[in-house]
Amino acid sequence: MAIEEIANLHAEIHHGEHDDHHEETFLTKYIFSQDHKMIAKQFLYTGMFWAVVGALLSVLFRLQLGWPDTAFPFLETILGKWAEGGKVSNDFYYALVTMHGTILVFFVLTAGLSGTFSNLLIPYQLGARDMASGFINMLSYWFFFLSGVVMFCSFFVHTGPASGGWTAYPPINGMRDVAINKGSGLGLDLWIISMSLFIVSVLLGGLNYVATILNLRTKGMSMWRMPLTIWAFLFTAILGILSFPALLAAVVLMSFDRLAGTSFYLSDIVVNGQLLSHHGGSPILFQHLFWFLGHPEVYIIIVPAMGLVSEVLSVHSRKPIFGYRAMVFSLMAITVLAFLVWAHHMFVTGMNPFAGSIFVLFTLIIAVPSAVKVFNWITTIWRGNLRLNPAMLFAIGFVSMFISGGLTGIFLGNSAIDIPLHDTYFVVAHFHIVMGVAAFFGMFAGVYHWFPKMFGRHLNDTMGYIHFYGTLIGAYAIFFPMHFMTGIPRRYARFDSFEFANNFGGLNKFISIVAMIVFVLQLMFVINVVYSSLRGRRMKSINPYGATTLEWTTPVEHFHGNWSGELPEVHRWPYDYAVNGQEFIPQTTPLSEGEISHS
Amino acid sequence: MTTILGIIIVICILLVIFYVARTVDLTKELKGESDDTVPASNVQGYLMFGFLIAFFIGITWSSMYFVPKMLPSPSSVHGVAIEKLFNMTLFFTGIVFVITHIVLFWFVFKYREKRGAKAYFFSHSNMLELLWTAIPAVVMLILVVKGLVTWLSIFPNTKTLPKETMVIEATAQQFKWNIRYPGLDKDFGARKIDTAHIGIATPDVWWKNELGIDWTDKASHDDFFADTIYLVKNKPVLMKLGALDVLHSFYLPHFRVKMDCVPGVPTTFYFIPNQTTVEKRKELSTLPEWQKINPATGGPKYSTFNFELACAELCGRSHYTMQKYVVVVEQAEYDQWVKEHTPIYASIQKAQQAALDKDKGTTNSTQPGMNDSTKVVVDSLLDKKTAMK
Repeated sequence: MAIEEIANLHAEIHHGEHDDHHEETFLTKYIFSQDHKMIAKQFLYTGMFWAVVGALLSVLFRLQLGWPDTAFPFLETILGKWAEGGKVSNDFYYALVTMHGTILVFFVLTAGLSGTFSNLLIPYQLGARDMASGFINMLSYWFFFLSGVVMFCSFFVHTGPASGGWTAYPPINGMRDVAINKGSGLGLDLWIISMSLFIVSVLLGGLNYVATILNLRTKGMSMWRMPLTIWAFLFTAILGILSFPALLAAVVLMSFDRLAGTSFYLSDIVVNGQLLSHHGGSPILFQHLFWFLGHPEVYIIIVPAMGLVSEVLSVHSRKPIFGYRAMVFSLMAITVLAFLVWAHHMFVTGMNPFAGSIFVLFTLIIAVPSAVKVFNWITTIWRGNLRLNPAMLFAIGFVSMFISGGLTGIFLGNSAIDIPLHDTYFVVAHFHIVMGVAAFFGMFAGVYHWFPKMFGRHLNDTMGYIHFYGTLIGAYAIFFPMHFMTGIPRRYARFDSFEFANNFGGLNKFISIVAMIVFVLQLMFVINVVYSSLRGRRMKSINPYGATTLEWTTPVEHFHGNWSGELPEVHRWPYDYAVNGQEFIPQTTPLSEGEISHS
Repeated sequence: MTTILGIIIVICILLVIFYVARTVDLTKELKGESDDTVPASNVQGYLMFGFLIAFFIGITWSSMYFVPKMLPSPSSVHGVAIEKLFNMTLFFTGIVFVITHIVLFWFVFKYREKRGAKAYFFSHSNMLELLWTAIPAVVMLILVVKGLVTWLSIFPNTKTLPKETMVIEATAQQFKWNIRYPGLDKDFGARKIDTAHIGIATPDVWWKNELGIDWTDKASHDDFFADTIYLVKNKPVLMKLGALDVLHSFYLPHFRVKMDCVPGVPTTFYFIPNQTTVEKRKELSTLPEWQKINPATGGPKYSTFNFELACAELCGRSHYTMQKYVVVVEQAEYDQWVKEHTPIYASIQKAQQAALDKDKGTTNSTQPGMNDSTKVVVDSLLDKKTAMK
């Protein structure tokens, strides 16, 4: 059966359901919703909640790093035994760092970013009534929610939350009953349970996204007519499906080590003068499993942001994206290479240097498709008519961040240079800029751009501009100077045990102050989202930006099924801007006489 | 109190911004101008261009301010090679960074939305795309080749090292380093990782032998623990690394040495220090940053400079305290230093004697010439003796 026929069949079924007007209760409409738009909002709000929590944790540990000798009595008030005398204890400092990483990487930049926009845009931009399975989609959100609940609970157990780093390396995280680290007790058990639930969520979501993209494209929507956002979500979902199970395997085996006395990751361990009975395992095995997820994970984070940015840049430049096919092929190259570079996180673990060389080769090759994307984005805005609203500014900021952070990756990917840089502030600067800040910029670009589609109202532009400049300047002020702390080990609660590391006290204070300002600015963004979704400027037309893609052909009001009549039919690629003397031609407009389809 | 005040001030600022922003947008809407994005785009174009200039000024200023504070130049042979590679990468990436940023923000300024302006339809160009696939590919190839030549030279085959290579063993544990030298015979006593050697009191091994040193191996009898790592200028070193409890990483920032210490998996790192500590101080004395007075000592910073050992892999709550000094000297001074050390085996025998003396009422656990690590051993020995009674 041809794809179009399946799509039509699906459409008819859904259409029929819609006509039935089955009553929606509060519970089915807002809580256990199976509608992709509502699930997208649920992911957005949950992601925003976790972003605030994660950022707050970073403010707390920045207090320690900026003023290691100052007591803050309010910390004892809110944290109790974890901050006796107003100083965060070492155990809790490492818990803060660990949870900051876990929350931002998984809950915010994986679920919050990909979950929100894959759900919102895949059915909309493909011309589908909903996801292939609304039920599985709902499950995906609720597994994510549950995983968040478990993670949140871990803050309140007597051991404190996990504190052995977001990478959860054994043996420090691999021995439950050995009191070498407080958070490695119950806190880490909850972390493992939470991550397992999260992996279920990612897999359910990812399978659904792939199934929907492959099967539910509307008539005329060939693969080569899909917007770059959809291509990005497709590759993201494939990355997630293929890599997250490795993490599940890794943490399940670690649970066996912790609870059942196995020795997958443990061998020859002496604690307090006693040799433990674990024998024959290797901590390095865990690192291989972890980074087999961990590296694709950074692309799971950045690829959807790339897709959103490509779309936003094109729409607001009033120009087609430059090199559409090159953009798709470079995404594809990144997706394949993402699986072949994981051990570049492990150059100094004692791995065979020859094996390291192969990972150097693949890692630096990734710079080529990344460079192609950057040059194509820059060419996209060349000779455009740039509408510089907050969404567009964030997209441009994304390109800047991606360049700045990507280039430092070329240093780290070269194993010889990695020897002195590994686990130092250079790495912290690199990944925060390229994966943290850049992904956030992509996400902000997406939220500002598609907010009207979600809520029928625009975000407040003035707050948007303040938010953009504050975040752009703040992020560079925080992370750029960290490059000068090359050689200073990361994950140090204070630096005064060392002469070589104790040189940047002033800089640490400066970074902490800026971090707090940027944090407050993000609260302003939250206020903007909440206020504008209720009272913001109403959308006047269904297509406020003059965009070509299908989501701007649906009515402002949301209802299950998206289009009230027939599904739209697609006749052209999604980037017909500034063509044939017209500003833009929607994908639904049939080709005019003699016009040659772009694809 | 100040906290509450701070929070109130922050809330007030947020409220002010919120009301101003709301008013601005509402006014625009009332005037019916909210769909006209041209004036805003114009302003933003200038602001973005301003950002570009401020960004480059910020980078220049911070580089001038912070670069002198960075780690000094490497003091090992491979460190110099790494530095070269780093600078070469910095050269290529620096060019790309500057050009792409200028172009990006210049385009934002130049092509900001103007009334009546039309975008130019330009959807692809095989020539251009080929160009900017090929150029990065060639640059990456250069970096890969240069990088791998350097990388493989840093890890020679450990079986064919030069004869004069000195071997030092560093075993990490929470939160300290056990630095073992092979002594005059240049050969380490074997370590046995089993319960017969670790943590069990036997008639002849009745202290906490956490490393599992096998005293029946005669080579162990002149092995000694050191508080400070002494190295000899221009003499190759092979570090044999390990860990007892969790992951650690043996990090010598000034020598650009880093290698993880993994329980159950031995690792090594080979390097050649090429400057003595004294020479390094002399080199630093020419730099203004190092001529500044160190408030802790009252002297200029260079005069108290020391090489250091740090842990670079999160190993628990006191991860940031695993410090030891490293001193590079000439051969003669090193030989003298070795002579000052009492072998572990001799210390234990002395301590055993001391423990027996203690029974008789004479206490003297601190032997002259004993360093801290040995003292710990001896103290734990005495504890054990007391506990065994």
